[in-house]
Amino acid sequence: MKYLLVALQIVVLIAVSPFITGLIKKIKNFIRLRKGPGVFQPYYDLAKLAGKEEVISRDTSWIFAFAPYAVIGSVTAALLLVPAFGPGISLNRAGDLIAMIFILAFGRFFMALAGLDAGSAFGGMGSSREMFISSLVEPVALLSVFAVSLNCGSTDAQAVASYGTFRFSTLVATGALFAVTIAETSRIPVDNRETHLELTMIHEAMVLEYSGRSLALIELASHIKQVLFFSVIAAVAVPFGNYAVKMLVIAAAVAALEVSMAKMRLFRVVDMMSFSFVLSVIAVVISAMGY
Amino acid sequence: MAVGLILFGILVMAFAMVAAKRLSALIFGFRAQSFFLFMLTFILAWRENSTQLYIVTTMLFAVKVVLVPNFLQKVARRIKADEDLGLSVNPTVSMSAAVLLSYMAYLFTGKIVSIPGEFENSALFISLSATMIGTFLMITRMKALAQILGLLVMENGIFLAAASVSGGMPFIVEIAIFFDILLVVIILGIFVFKINRLFTHIDVDKLTELKG
Amino acid sequence: MQLAGNFGDLSGDYLSLFFLFTILLISVPAAVYSTGYMMGEYGGKKKAVLWALLAAFVSSMALVVLTANAFVFLVAWELMSLLSYFLVVSDFKHEKSVKAGTIYIVMTHIGTAFMTAAFLVMFRYSGSFDFSALKEACSTMPPEIKNIVFLMLLAGFGTKAGLVPLHIWLPYAHPQAPSHISSIMSAVMIKTAVYGMLRFVFMILGIGAIWWGNLVLVLALVSCLAGIMYALTENDLKRLLAYSSVENIGIIMLGVGASMVFMKMGLPAVSLLALCAGLFHLINHAVFKGLLFLCAGSIYKATGTRNIEHLGGLIKKMPVTAAAFLAGSIAISGLPPFNGFVSEWLTLQALFTGAVNTGGSYKIFLCVCAALLALTGGLAAACFVKAFGVTFLAVPRSRAAERAGEVPLSMKAPMVFLAAAAVLLGVGAPSAIRCISAVADSVIAAPAGGITLSASLNTVIIASAIFTASAAAFYFMRPRRTTECNTWDCGYYKLGARTEYSATAFSKPLRIAFGFFLLPYSKTEKIRDSFYHVRSFKYEVFTTPVFRDYVYEPAVKLVFMAARQVKKIQPGSIHVYVAYIFATIVLLVIFMGRF
Repeated sequence: MKYLLVALQIVVLIAVSPFITGLIKKIKNFIRLRKGPGVFQPYYDLAKLAGKEEVISRDTSWIFAFAPYAVIGSVTAALLLVPAFGPGISLNRAGDLIAMIFILAFGRFFMALAGLDAGSAFGGMGSSREMFISSLVEPVALLSVFAVSLNCGSTDAQAVASYGTFRFSTLVATGALFAVTIAETSRIPVDNRETHLELTMIHEAMVLEYSGRSLALIELASHIKQVLFFSVIAAVAVPFGNYAVKMLVIAAAVAALEVSMAKMRLFRVVDMMSFSFVLSVIAVVISAMGY
Repeated sequence: MAVGLILFGILVMAFAMVAAKRLSALIFGFRAQSFFLFMLTFILAWRENSTQLYIVTTMLFAVKVVLVPNFLQKVARRIKADEDLGLSVNPTVSMSAAVLLSYMAYLFTGKIVSIPGEFENSALFISLSATMIGTFLMITRMKALAQILGLLVMENGIFLAAASVSGGMPFIVEIAIFFDILLVVIILGIFVFKINRLFTHIDVDKLTELKG
Repeated sequence: MQLAGNFGDLSGDYLSLFFLFTILLISVPAAVYSTGYMMGEYGGKKKAVLWALLAAFVSSMALVVLTANAFVFLVAWELMSLLSYFLVVSDFKHEKSVKAGTIYIVMTHIGTAFMTAAFLVMFRYSGSFDFSALKEACSTMPPEIKNIVFLMLLAGFGTKAGLVPLHIWLPYAHPQAPSHISSIMSAVMIKTAVYGMLRFVFMILGIGAIWWGNLVLVLALVSCLAGIMYALTENDLKRLLAYSSVENIGIIMLGVGASMVFMKMGLPAVSLLALCAGLFHLINHAVFKGLLFLCAGSIYKATGTRNIEHLGGLIKKMPVTAAAFLAGSIAISGLPPFNGFVSEWLTLQALFTGAVNTGGSYKIFLCVCAALLALTGGLAAACFVKAFGVTFLAVPRSRAAERAGEVPLSMKAPMVFLAAAAVLLGVGAPSAIRCISAVADSVIAAPAGGITLSASLNTVIIASAIFTASAAAFYFMRPRRTTECNTWDCGYYKLGARTEYSATAFSKPLRIAFGFFLLPYSKTEKIRDSFYHVRSFKYEVFTTPVFRDYVYEPAVKLVFMAARQVKKIQPGSIHVYVAYIFATIVLLVIFMGRF
């Protein structure tokens, strides 16, 4: 029964994931007083890409062809570990929140290699920056996960999710986790998904060589990753209230942040990440004080 | 919970000031920190229901949240020194150093009072951290205005320690300190203004050339 | 005079056997590999010498971990160091090899000196070099002496292990040896130092104070971060791997140090977990670092260069080597479902469980340790994306890389074997951990009652989940129509090796962000035809080796200065020498008279 629920959950989450992206875009346009595309636009985009022919560079190897599957595999496997719909619904036997961070790194590893594979300077630049940012994000992600799970004494996502009381330290850690989410989903202060400007793009530069169905898979993977991180905040870190409402609130917060901020210089991201690192250290301090 | 939130707000703001790269961000950090301090003293005053504490609270708000930041902002704008702070240590290293400092503060205060327990006890840890971070800012930021802010952060830390440990300094002392701050800031501000006009920069580092 | 202990005794406990297994696991494939590697590289006589040295080297390592007598241990240790020195300088025609060998032999002897001193102090209390006698004596040793012995042991073993700041020899010596030797040195020889730490500090000396553990933890963290940062900026493939060994020794020592701390805190179960993590990472690192060095050797054999800036596109020329290197890279970056992931996860779990069970400042300290370990993991991933991506992907950057071909079977088979071992240790982690926890149990010798984890991990499920999802995606979204075309060139028609992203460029953001430690500086060189037309532009970037420039070089200078001062007492005149002897006799007479 439990496994059926897990399967159902993952299917629903994957199906909903493009909608969240569309929703964020809609909210952004609402704030900017524009009309913008409909909330289902990401679905149309995926469908369009799936029907297109694929152009592959001559210089690439099997890594380039394999990377989209590795990415989609890793985000899906990571999503299995998140009890989004209720404290019992996840494959907690397979791994915990720490394992989740490492599984996501698996997909990123292949993505970065694929960026280098075509031999274009764009792809290399994207890979270099992606690995740079992700290596800075990793300690923050881990420490905020630690801070969230210190109170209940286990890094198991289900145990954290079903831990009844909401502690002050969790609140601070959630702040750091939000910064991690922004960086991991390539949102504005860190990266900008909407532009293809050489000097600023990170994730987009890395996947510049992709087209057609492979690109559709990569896009879908980034939608899923976004749902994954939102769910970690909504279901694990803040274990009360309605899940759907919480997801909407997070989406609105991300949209508001994107509209109100400008993209940072690459080396300002270091400062942002070290500040979130300090934030999660403070969360641990508060937890050590017993709050 | 509310007191805890405010206390850690003070600490987070101190770290934010370490992370700041522009003067306006630094001033904003100070304003926010002072605002948290104001809320804290307000809660204390409300709890003890003492008129003296209410007066101190009001003055705190007037001096540290409104007057001093506004004045500094004005000076910064007048001398157009908003671009950079003259960091001698980059923000990441500064942040690591600040974490280390507050860890030391934690270890030290843990020896005096048992930290897990009453939430107010953590006030000593936070005040010591803020004081040390303020000193650190004074050492590593080259622009004179940033140094003033470092001094003010130190003062905030000391005020917090006094407020939390002994339930506040004597009334007269408290009031005197506020006037001191106001005077110090005004005098320093005017000095900065003059220095800038004389040397066209406020880089304290370069003032070493003035020695005989 | 009575013999100080039984020299022939062997210790056959779990710890010794575990290390013996690790040594054989790497040495045997490396030996097989060497048949192919030495073919055409060396002449018949030299081959014979290298074989003999290799056999003796492996035997000496085995003796180090098997003996039950400190004196024999020391002799075997010295033998191991000397034999590896000869192997390092076996390419003695290269000036670099000789220099590397010199640095190595000096550093390793400084380490041995510390160890000898520690053993002699212990011997003073026991009167025998037998491990059992030493152990008995250590229980009556005063704590101050214990502290001193510990520090000397740490310095001695830390030098061999390559803990920062004693790592200085490692990036010189390991790359200069023939690749199968580098593989054995990096994968197992430096691990004998961990064996020494466990044997002498845990089992014989006993952990005296909590600061011992703290010291090891801090050194381990510094090693992790410094090692991986230097590895990131390195473009010489074997040096990159050597620096990464420094990092991994740091991770192993993190487990060991955490274990010491927890033991002293009275948390035997967590201590056991931490030690398990350390030991598991030890065998994992042996496997994947051995593998990566063998791959680096294959690349060197095929192209004649170790500089990754001159490589590229090798995945099409050397598919098996590429696959093996990829497996090693994934494992060393700590990605599931390979073995490096499991041991890093265990280390993090140990730190987490420790943080849960302690309060106050230790909680913060352990959490920050864990976060820095995660930073190391992230940087390691970046480092190996660079290593693999620049070496194997895209277009060849030099003629040598263009003409490369796959290596012979005798070299491929050991690489495939080690890659399979890396997967097996990852997927079969539960059984491996069960064996290793028995080893750790015998070291800790406190009733811990097996390891308990706060959360469960099953790499089989993770692997199958990733695989199923990938397969499903492949089934539904396999490209139907594809066109082959050039890489997107923005309308410029001559994309090639010159426009590729280079390794130096790849690591540039990190070089800037961590500039406060790496202290990079660059040199540019322009050759102009005229003011407007630059014919060639050369850009080189270097990082300052902080430890060499600010610790070792001043120290060496100091030693030379002292030596010059001492030289003054040797004027070369026989009269003066006779006067010295006379003065000595007079002094002796005076002092003897006092007793």
